[in-house]
Amino acid sequence: MAEQNKQTVTFIIERQDGPDSKPYTQEFEIPYRPALNVVASLMEIQKNPVTKDGKKVAPVVWECNCLEKVCGACMMVINGRARQACCALIDELEQPIHLAPARTFPVIRDLLIDRSVMFESLKRIQGWVEIDGTWEVKDAPIQNPYTAQTAYEISHCMTCGCCLEACPNVGPQSDFIGPAPTVQAYLFNLHPLGKFDKEKRLNTLMEKGGITSCGNSQNCVQACPKNIKLTTYLAQVNRDVNKQALKNIFNK
Amino acid sequence: MINTTFYLRRLHSICGLLALGGMLMEHIFTNSMALGGSAVFNAALETMELIPKPIFLGIEVGLIAVPFLFHGIYGIYIALQAKNNTGSYGYARNWQFLLQRCTAWYLLVFLIWHVGYLRIFTKGISGTPISYELVQSYISNPIIFVLYIIAMFAAIFHFCNGITTFCMTWGIAKGPRIQCVIDKLCMLMALALCLVTVAYMGSYLL
Ligand code: SF4
Ligand code: SF4
Ligand code: FES
Repeated sequence: MAEQNKQTVTFIIERQDGPDSKPYTQEFEIPYRPALNVVASLMEIQKNPVTKDGKKVAPVVWECNCLEKVCGACMMVINGRARQACCALIDELEQPIHLAPARTFPVIRDLLIDRSVMFESLKRIQGWVEIDGTWEVKDAPIQNPYTAQTAYEISHCMTCGCCLEACPNVGPQSDFIGPAPTVQAYLFNLHPLGKFDKEKRLNTLMEKGGITSCGNSQNCVQACPKNIKLTTYLAQVNRDVNKQALKNIFNK
Repeated sequence: MINTTFYLRRLHSICGLLALGGMLMEHIFTNSMALGGSAVFNAALETMELIPKPIFLGIEVGLIAVPFLFHGIYGIYIALQAKNNTGSYGYARNWQFLLQRCTAWYLLVFLIWHVGYLRIFTKGISGTPISYELVQSYISNPIIFVLYIIAMFAAIFHFCNGITTFCMTWGIAKGPRIQCVIDKLCMLMALALCLVTVAYMGSYLL
């Protein structure tokens, strides 16, 4: 608990003017108020973008939408760890608070990053269910309620990218699509209609950059703000791809 | 659908567990004979010599050298894909992930030296048979002793942690409880094997 200085909150923010410019840091001080969080603090800085030593600077750029941990947009590295800025309470953070962009993704400006690689990966694993009009809604196969519980948990994923930022095997040095899209493939494989494309998804996950790039460091499950049991489902997908490999070998 | 990456990865995993793990266990088993003294150790080596030369060489090349080279070379490729981040994410499994890669780098260099000097040069080229006395005089050099004991600890950790990750990679251990139990059991096994190693290596110095 940051009892130390209740009057002000100090931030050290890693900034960057454009995708290819060099990062630099700036220190900001804002007045403290109860229940302040990182997004609200960034808004304060935006209102009055003056550094601690009195220099007027361009306001810090970042992204947010929902402000309640459901959209995923506000992911950044706070005191060394990837998390959602909108639910990072100042009272629970050690000061000075270090903010940095999640460099696993391309940085657009300051704390704003481009997470579109995750959406590309979701397309790659076919993260959707084909609805082809074969059934009237009332005749469609139903989901087993136990399976639905698991599916519900995984469907909480907001593509925030915390798990990718924490994963040592995701980044510019590797082509791993990362834990979130891999586990989303399992979500759609659980769906009564989605499972028609199970083989396709599993075969995609066997390709370069698929699940075999996971090195079992298990950072992802610790990082996920939605508490999705990522490592459990990664093991399940491992099981599934192994079975699929046997089918590929012996069924043809 | 060919999925070369998938098969290479799984081959890397199984090679490590069976061929390399088997080789490590054989080393610990045979070398622990040194605890019984010169006669017992030399007798164990002679028993191995009973395997006909061509078969022995076949095993060495097919079941040891080739899997080692594959595991090592493909392993370099895997290790280079990680950006280690234990500084920010200091969880136990992340440390194990880092250690798995550090031990691999150490062993890569060590094994070139170890196999190059003892197997290829000493036993192969100069034709000196390996014996208790040879090993004793070799590791009585404190630097070599330390480098060897680090290598054994590294190999044991790499193998035992490898069993844990094998169970995850092959989808054997799925839930967090079983994964944790396997992790703990493997680390206990690593500890036991390290103690055995200290015992037999130390016995040369007594
Ligand atoms: S368990 Fe796999 S996916 Fe999760 S952080 Fe580690 S390497 Fe990445
Ligand atoms: S799995 Fe969790 S950490 Fe990863 S993107 Fe989804 S919500 Fe974020
Ligand atoms: S703003 Fe939507 S998760 Fe933080």
